[in-house]
Amino acid sequence: MRPALRVLSGPAGTLLLVVVMMSVVMIVAGSTPWAGFGALFGGALGGPHELAETLAQTTALLFPALGICLAFRAGLFNIGAEGQLLLGGLAAGALGANFTGPGWLAVPAILAAGIVGGGLWGALAGWMKSRFNANEIISTLMLNYVAISIANYLVAGPLKSPLATGAETAPLPASSWLPALIPDTRLTIALLIAIAIAAILQFVFARTVFGYELRALGEAPEAARRNHVDINRLTWMAMGLSGAIAGLGGAAIVAGELHRFNTQLSPGYGFTAIAVALVGDLHPLWICLAAFGFGILEAGGLAMQASAGVPKDAIHLIEGIIILVLAAKRFVSTRVEVPAV
Amino acid sequence: MTQSVVVTLLVLTIIKAVPIIYAALGGVISERSGVINIGLEGMMVAGAFSSVVISFYLSPALGSTFGPLAGLVVGVAAGALIGWILGIAATKFKVDQIVAGIGINLICTGGAAYGLVLVFNQPGASAQVPALGGPNLPLFDLHAGAVALLAVAFVCALGLSWLIYKTPWGLRVQACGENPYAVKSAGLDPLKARLLAVTISGALAGLGGAFLSIGELNIYSDGMTAGRGFIALAAVIFGRWTPWGATGAAIFFGFFEALQYVLQGHVTWLPADAMQALPYVAALVALAGITGRVRAPAADGVPF
Repeated sequence: MRPALRVLSGPAGTLLLVVVMMSVVMIVAGSTPWAGFGALFGGALGGPHELAETLAQTTALLFPALGICLAFRAGLFNIGAEGQLLLGGLAAGALGANFTGPGWLAVPAILAAGIVGGGLWGALAGWMKSRFNANEIISTLMLNYVAISIANYLVAGPLKSPLATGAETAPLPASSWLPALIPDTRLTIALLIAIAIAAILQFVFARTVFGYELRALGEAPEAARRNHVDINRLTWMAMGLSGAIAGLGGAAIVAGELHRFNTQLSPGYGFTAIAVALVGDLHPLWICLAAFGFGILEAGGLAMQASAGVPKDAIHLIEGIIILVLAAKRFVSTRVEVPAV
Repeated sequence: MTQSVVVTLLVLTIIKAVPIIYAALGGVISERSGVINIGLEGMMVAGAFSSVVISFYLSPALGSTFGPLAGLVVGVAAGALIGWILGIAATKFKVDQIVAGIGINLICTGGAAYGLVLVFNQPGASAQVPALGGPNLPLFDLHAGAVALLAVAFVCALGLSWLIYKTPWGLRVQACGENPYAVKSAGLDPLKARLLAVTISGALAGLGGAFLSIGELNIYSDGMTAGRGFIALAAVIFGRWTPWGATGAAIFFGFFEALQYVLQGHVTWLPADAMQALPYVAALVALAGITGRVRAPAADGVPF
């Protein structure tokens, strides 16, 4: 490969592609790249409050992306992070509204509730896969819709706060809020928790038997089976852990930003997170970087829409193209003629 | 309302099943050729959105009969185009088909949401556009054009069945899904057959989407496909990768979608939110209930 081509097939090429495509959607929407990117970066990085909002979006994407990374590494296509995040948030909100203990106990309890809520929802899909061989792509997506129904029902009925006009749980007492990293912003210590989880995941993949088995299941399931890896157990554990991490993300939004649960918890973080995980090459530390990139797009997208008139949804269009191009690039860079079996 | 509840339920079952039938038939042809089409949902969105846009622009010039028809044609073409893109990714570039399908879905849903703002100047939903016309048929409470699309779904099932089982090309497609190397050894190109199969798959899903937007309704709104592309994938499995099996499974799922509308007027002990979850729960139960009794094409999802 010529050197110029090699550079373009790496991250630099991806970045260039994003810039070109963003420019195109800005021009098509009747704006200019200068105005569009100006608004985007101004809105995302223009000051401490903007940066804090970008990092808050990064955090919201990072949890489900790390969960997705774990499942994908095991060859399990969990596209149900949205539902797992929602039910994690629901469990956290339900507990948080009724928990009367001191803050040092309440915060961990609320986060644990999120882990359990999301984890059970993920493990359900994993159990369906291991017990009934139910395709997890379809089941996790169906479970998203079921999760929305459950959450809608509970916040409009049994869990509805008598004081609230809309469908939401009672507010969490201020003692059980996640501490903010920058005062008066939505950026909380959840960011640090997410980064810690990324580091732990990296360690688990690289250094533990469990991580090795996960990767074996994803890359060579037949070899894993012949080496007496308990695939059924591994499947529901991987899906459960994947859901647990996404659920923790939901709990972090409840305890850190909304301070109550309602179904507007996520504008689709669980779906965007799939793109984050894939762009991060299913590598926890790269995913942190990818989440920051997507955090810029999410936070700056609103400003781009408001002051440059470029619809924010264009970002999802571009995410999809990036996924396709990255998937194709992997082929180009590893193009080897493999003889038939 | 003069009809009995049973008749309403039956008619509504067909109406709700038809978009799933189209997408499921698309899933069958694609998977039989060896390409898992996770992008069905996105192809339905492409069909639903583009048919509304075309009807919006062309109906003033072509009239409210031919404008929506042009929309229908473009909706099918848009689905086919997206199918072709997935096909190229799956054949020429040998990408992971599932990852590519996820990308396709994001492109289509994001693209439609972006397009809504550009064309209609508002997020969330399009303006009302002329829908497929004709007199309003009393039994269905739909225009004749939409009712025709109901019938066409079954014609497509028949046609696809013939195509797969009775034509040389269909046999080749089946062989591609089981053992592409054998096809190659016979001096034929499995990638060509796969590319065409996925393109047809997209066209069918696009037709299903167009039925949703300008057949049953007269608008496009974000999220209107509501996971039907994935329910269709469940129908493909439940129907054991056969056109009539998938059609039957789609009717089964359509029944549960229809049931919620019928129940909502008559049953009070089941919360409305639980009724909304019915089709998805039905798909989950169906997916789990057929354990061990089905076998996918051997090379389904395996790049050649």
